[in-house]
Amino acid sequence: MSEVKVGRYIVLRDRFYTETDEWIKFEDSIATVGITDYAQKKLRDIVGIELPQVNREVNAGDSVGVIESVKASADIYSPLSGIIVEVNQKLVEHPEIINKDPYGEGWIFKLRVSRVEEKEKLLSADKYIEKIKGG
Amino acid sequence: MFVSPLYDVEEKLGANFGEFANWEMPMSFTNYMEEHMAVRNSVAFFDLSHMGRLRVKGDPKEFDMLIAKEINNSKDGNMIGPTAFLNDRGGFIDDVMVYKVSSNEWLIVTNAINRENVIKWIRNNSNLDVEDLTFKYVMIAIQGRKFEDVIGKIDLMPLQFKLNSKFLDYNVFLISRSGWTGENGVEVWASEEVGKQIILSLSKTGVKPAGLIARDSLRQEMGFVLYGEDIDDRITPVEARYWVFSLNKDFVGKQAIIQRLESGVDRFRIGFKMKKGERFIPRHLSKIYSMSREIGYVTSSTFSPYLNRAIGMGYVESKYFFLGYSLTVNIRDKQYDIKVDEFPFI
Repeated sequence: MSEVKVGRYIVLRDRFYTETDEWIKFEDSIATVGITDYAQKKLRDIVGIELPQVNREVNAGDSVGVIESVKASADIYSPLSGIIVEVNQKLVEHPEIINKDPYGEGWIFKLRVSRVEEKEKLLSADKYIEKIKGG
Repeated sequence: MFVSPLYDVEEKLGANFGEFANWEMPMSFTNYMEEHMAVRNSVAFFDLSHMGRLRVKGDPKEFDMLIAKEINNSKDGNMIGPTAFLNDRGGFIDDVMVYKVSSNEWLIVTNAINRENVIKWIRNNSNLDVEDLTFKYVMIAIQGRKFEDVIGKIDLMPLQFKLNSKFLDYNVFLISRSGWTGENGVEVWASEEVGKQIILSLSKTGVKPAGLIARDSLRQEMGFVLYGEDIDDRITPVEARYWVFSLNKDFVGKQAIIQRLESGVDRFRIGFKMKKGERFIPRHLSKIYSMSREIGYVTSSTFSPYLNRAIGMGYVESKYFFLGYSLTVNIRDKQYDIKVDEFPFI
């Protein structure tokens, strides 16, 4: 897994990204989604999470949950259209896992993707690096 | 923007910086919960160099008129506070700690956001001489239940201070004992160089560095107000239930306070806890309801690491102040129960 450091933020090469700072990892038609290292560092200490509902059908860009940190609350957006098939229940009791391991144990939900063509709209690691460099 | 003089050393200790009151200060080093619990269970240090520190000299009668609490009866070498500078309407210009050096010299700690206002206000309302020491010394607070186990006993009673003293064998300008986190501890003012040596030495001794987020959560648990959120120049100490004045003396704002004590107030400050396990935080100005009626708003809130639930404070119409009663608060268009509780929360 190749890891790129952009200032104090880590970006992984094996993922796709969104403008709203989610990361996406594909395994066949299942997309695992979390928030990026940049996003968790901007939010700082995460104290709570409202997870998406399993079996919910969502469109790309829908708000599906909320992350609560001491600094602010932030919506979690679905990067793609599909059905939520699994959520990371561990985060309910221990949302701080997102701070500790945003790309691994801190994954938030899995989605069965219904419109594969939407993948084209996601940001590559390089594009995401440009985005966080700029802001 | 001002930057903490201790920035370089703090960066090496892993600080995450952020802006507070036009200062770039450490917000946290690891995470605020660990830092918070270090104070409650052990000991931690904070960089508070952003807080305004002033030396005021002159006629004690003039100073007494500006400050809401009795100061003339206090002994030299003692702190008075918290107390406040109030405007004519009884609103807070700032809440401050006063250090009585002698009958005609005081040191004052102001909120970072109000330093310039306080200086101007004293100059406009008196002939007192004000010197700004904020940039001359750093201020470090070392606080925690096990303070003495780690640092050793200190020769200071609560609210006492000493000038030109020693802390950990370093020469410091001032050492005081206020325990503003609700735990044992001291605050030291020292030169930048000595300050750097002190925090390096403390971290080597196992004293955890802590940031301003932990400072806020520690304060919330004790029910201490934060200027700009919980109090401002439109709120009086009566509404804030912040007893920082003495009616046995004259001071600017006294008539407004007397008037409120006679007529009563329409709203006042409450503390509240959310349910255990409810891991959401109502934000500044979130609305508070009794049944379906909007009766007030949240001024500050955080997640308490000690109580494992969200806590906060706000203002409600005074006729709805029922201790132990459940109100609700609006968070992102949903209503959550909050229980009215008295300070301190722990």
